[in-house]
Amino acid sequence: MSISVWQATLLGIFACLASMPGMGGSVIGNYTLGRPLVGGLVVGIILGDVQTGIIAGAAAQMVYIALVTPGGTVSADVRAVSYIGIPLSVLAIRNMGLTGEAATSMATTMGAAVGTLGTVLFYGTSTLNLIWQHIGWKAVEKGEFKKLYLVDMGLPWISHLICSFLPTFIITLMGAQMVDVIKNYLPMDGMAMKTLFTVGSLLPAVGVAILLKQVVTKATDLLTFFFGFTLAACMGLNLIGAAIVGGFFAVITYQIKTLQNKKSTDPTGGAGSFNEDEEDI
Amino acid sequence: MAEKKLSQKALNKSFWNWYYGHLTCFSQEHMQTFGYLCAMLPLVEELYDTKEEQKDAMQTYTAFFNTEPQLGTVIVGVTAGLEEAKANGEGVDGDVINGIRAGLMGPVAGIGDSLVVGTLIPILLGIAMGLSTGGSPIGAIFYIVAWNVICTLGMRFLYFKGYELGGKAVEFLVGEQAAAIREAITMIGTVVIGAVAATWISISTSLVIIEPSAETAGITLQSTLDSVFPKLLSAIFVILCWFLMSKKKMTPLKVMLLLVVIAFVGVLVGFFDPQLTY
Repeated sequence: MSISVWQATLLGIFACLASMPGMGGSVIGNYTLGRPLVGGLVVGIILGDVQTGIIAGAAAQMVYIALVTPGGTVSADVRAVSYIGIPLSVLAIRNMGLTGEAATSMATTMGAAVGTLGTVLFYGTSTLNLIWQHIGWKAVEKGEFKKLYLVDMGLPWISHLICSFLPTFIITLMGAQMVDVIKNYLPMDGMAMKTLFTVGSLLPAVGVAILLKQVVTKATDLLTFFFGFTLAACMGLNLIGAAIVGGFFAVITYQIKTLQNKKSTDPTGGAGSFNEDEEDI
Repeated sequence: MAEKKLSQKALNKSFWNWYYGHLTCFSQEHMQTFGYLCAMLPLVEELYDTKEEQKDAMQTYTAFFNTEPQLGTVIVGVTAGLEEAKANGEGVDGDVINGIRAGLMGPVAGIGDSLVVGTLIPILLGIAMGLSTGGSPIGAIFYIVAWNVICTLGMRFLYFKGYELGGKAVEFLVGEQAAAIREAITMIGTVVIGAVAATWISISTSLVIIEPSAETAGITLQSTLDSVFPKLLSAIFVILCWFLMSKKKMTPLKVMLLLVVIAFVGVLVGFFDPQLTY
């Protein structure tokens, strides 16, 4: 299996749409097309193997399940994960004949490696955008407001042609040869590949931890995390089941908080005698 | 002079400009400022007739702006309401608008990051990954539909609610009620993250404690760990990564590199062995 010029072109266009900051807008672009799971579907359709695409996409998705970009600092670039990493993973999975866990680990590691390197593309794009913004400031000064649309939604395509389209196009076009090199020089039972696949199984822990960092503010919040972990690991609940149980506790939390708010604004009424006990919680 | 009222058409145009354009021309220096200018332009053009007035009004929105863009739609809505009030001479000026705008973008970014990116998206993706097990496209399609419908309707609601409430929206966004809702939603998020971790991370060891022989089945470390708590290793690694990032302030990249080292050493001593062949 190899990637043709047309396939590489399509992948390049999707990379322009899906990146952060991308030409698809963040709802449809970054948060839809940029998610590796969706990227897996798109890549699968382009390369003609949806099943492998989705398997690779779901694996890469795990690492980036919560790609938070606080204040515009990124730790990984979705255009690179989804439209460079996944096509290469699909090639590797197909050409090396990987199945099951080997396929997932390959995709996870490939996605993480490419995604991290891809941050260069993010900074490249946003730096090039400064040129268009310069044009924009001049337009505002002169009162040529219509130009703002061109600056905000038109000219950034040039940044993406350089920082999204070209890298994706070139790397995916070369992909098949790169995979052959890996296969010939790195045997599966050697240290390098063993380490690679072990890393693949460890990396999703980072993705979950990034997310955990966002929601855990005090040590006891970790208990909530383990509550969910136990529901799935010991009791075999799936995610919808866990979300429903979580939702039930969320309602209770909300009611307690509302009572506390009432109490603090209206000290005479409300909960009455057990006020002091609640204060410590 | 008759009271100026923004038309539905102008508001719609403003909303879609923001919906699409808030991050397209992103730079580290001005972030979402140009998206904001594009969102305000249809409103300013309708409210003010002369070029001078328009220029003056647009000047307000050249100030730096950055927030979580989905939830941040409410801020655009609020300023739409305020700009209308300003055009009608209701004691609002550009400085007031910018004060409110700057005051809201921090808190809204915090709420938005934990609510949208930290809770809603992982829940949807978690369900979608479950549906896509084995390579089925259903999960991906589910995510595309669910996310876009929820997000688009949600952003529309926020925009028009913000416009309707104007300055009064501030209380809703940073008040106690908002904090209670936030805490409740974070609760679901944390439980789901726990379930996601248990479902999607599978770290196992290949270390053998007693070699299997003809008489006994042998004991592996993995089976011992499983009898203590299922998926114990996965949990340990998540907590380790969390600890390094939040307590030791390590960047995700450094943690990933550390995991590469751990994997290498682990393979070397026989703790990890993927046991794979081509």
